[in-house]
Amino acid sequence: MEKLITNFNYVIVVILMMIGLWAMLAQKNLIKKCIGMAIFQTGIILFFISIGAKNKAKVPILSKFVVENSSAIIVNDYANPLTQILMLTAIVVGVATLGVGLALAQKIYQQHSSFDEDEILENQRK
Amino acid sequence: MGFLGYILISTGLVFFLGTTIGLLRFPDFYTRMHAAGKGDTLSTVMILIGCICLVPMDLLLAIKILLIINFIFIGSPTATHAMMDAGNKAGAVPWRKDSE
Amino acid sequence: MPELPIWQFDVLLLILVVVFAVVALSIRNLMGAAVVFGAYSFMMCLIWAGMGAVDVAFTEAAVGAGVSTVFVVSTLYNTGATMQRRTGGLAFKLFIGVVVTVAGAFLLSALPDFPKWGAPDSPVNATVAPYYILNTFEDAHVPNIVTSVLADYRGFDTLLETTVVFIACIAIYSIMRVDNAKLETDEPAIVAAPRYDPSDSLIVRQASRFMVPFMQLFALYVIAHGHYSPGGGFQGGVILGASLILLAISFDLKFLLRQWSEKTLMLLVAAGVFLYAAVGLACVFMGGNYLDYGFLDSVLPGERDMARSHGILLVEIGVGITVMFSMIAIHINLASNGRFDRGL
Repeated sequence: MEKLITNFNYVIVVILMMIGLWAMLAQKNLIKKCIGMAIFQTGIILFFISIGAKNKAKVPILSKFVVENSSAIIVNDYANPLTQILMLTAIVVGVATLGVGLALAQKIYQQHSSFDEDEILENQRK
Repeated sequence: MGFLGYILISTGLVFFLGTTIGLLRFPDFYTRMHAAGKGDTLSTVMILIGCICLVPMDLLLAIKILLIINFIFIGSPTATHAMMDAGNKAGAVPWRKDSE
Repeated sequence: MPELPIWQFDVLLLILVVVFAVVALSIRNLMGAAVVFGAYSFMMCLIWAGMGAVDVAFTEAAVGAGVSTVFVVSTLYNTGATMQRRTGGLAFKLFIGVVVTVAGAFLLSALPDFPKWGAPDSPVNATVAPYYILNTFEDAHVPNIVTSVLADYRGFDTLLETTVVFIACIAIYSIMRVDNAKLETDEPAIVAAPRYDPSDSLIVRQASRFMVPFMQLFALYVIAHGHYSPGGGFQGGVILGASLILLAISFDLKFLLRQWSEKTLMLLVAAGVFLYAAVGLACVFMGGNYLDYGFLDSVLPGERDMARSHGILLVEIGVGITVMFSMIAIHINLASNGRFDRGL
């Protein structure tokens, strides 16, 4: 129970990932599938950001005082920048993927006049 | 000065609460947009002025927050107007008391 | 109890974000789902800012909550589909729910082994990250650790990420773009015509005409000041793209295409990646490794560390150019159904 509180962020991350996965598999509408993919991606990003967070830590930007006086930089004062950098890439790639998914959905709608999976498959069999 | 900042932020939150209640309780699209648009802008501007009062020594930061207030003050009512206009052209019917 | 500052607030936001995700997936009205998805992105942005990741929160606010929502709404507008069909298939959804719950339980069984939320001694903070924090200012004279690692220490990743954005732009272009001349003969009758012309409103036009120059000025500030504050190439590029998308939405799409023709847009998308790769190649010509900006110190003003700082600025400008024109090109393609004549 104690573990549930101290590791709460991982619980939320797993719940978000599974919601996104469920949406991609079970929802019939193409737009809902795209939204589910985006939820999955942001869940992963939340995971990486939360493992890089530190107690009582500042944003990873060296302050003016530290820079001008070249005083010692205490590592534990700053949140971990490495995970944030990987996630910056992930966000931009995520929006690019969402754009491609939406373009494909729009083209499918032009051919079959429906976003619904069942109707599209029925239409294709004709 | 800091105390004034906290008071302003709390007042902004109270106005947000009013906005939310209005959004849920009003009977019609137009009245809801009215509540949302006005209350939203007012609460945001109040909270930001409270933030200015919390950092009076950092003049550059205060000027930046003032610029943010300026753009929110112009942009948020315009967005509300655009939505109401779109609703009007799409055919939303205003609520009348006798049609209840 | 975890010791993060205001951990109760973080826990509340995390629970709220799950609620938002569930609501976004269960609304039948697709426009409503798009808007709640935008709200979900903003909530995630708040959580990340609270955990100390302001650059990531900035990017998510600009990209995820701003531009993504515009893309989804453009798609819905163009196709005219607003409601999800009410289907049965409850058994299938329950079956997938069980599968997903089992998978989630497997993942959660590793929960006791994870390091505590916010612990400074977790394995993530042990290896390379302290080196970056301690040596960024000496090596590259850039106080923003995220920008310096992104563009200097891990420059290859950022080059390939910019290429991915470029490839996505080309992919959408090749999927959507149709030739207007062949339209009568080949394409079937498509797209629900919009019921009214969105550019009728004087207020919206004047307000956006006022805001666009300030948005662009702010975006240039974000790119240039990315060394000292949260910001950098991506965020500035997305804000620049969003300013031109605002012009396209509030005026007419043709208005934007008159200022920036299609050929210019696609050339400039490639120009950003070219700039980035060319800076790397210039370092090779100066005698160093690819993307080793220190060797540019004979060409750029200053010592080796200032040369690295200027090299970072140059590649951030390249990234900003590519991202800006990619966002605009993707929006025009999605909003006008590939025909580049009229749209959202």
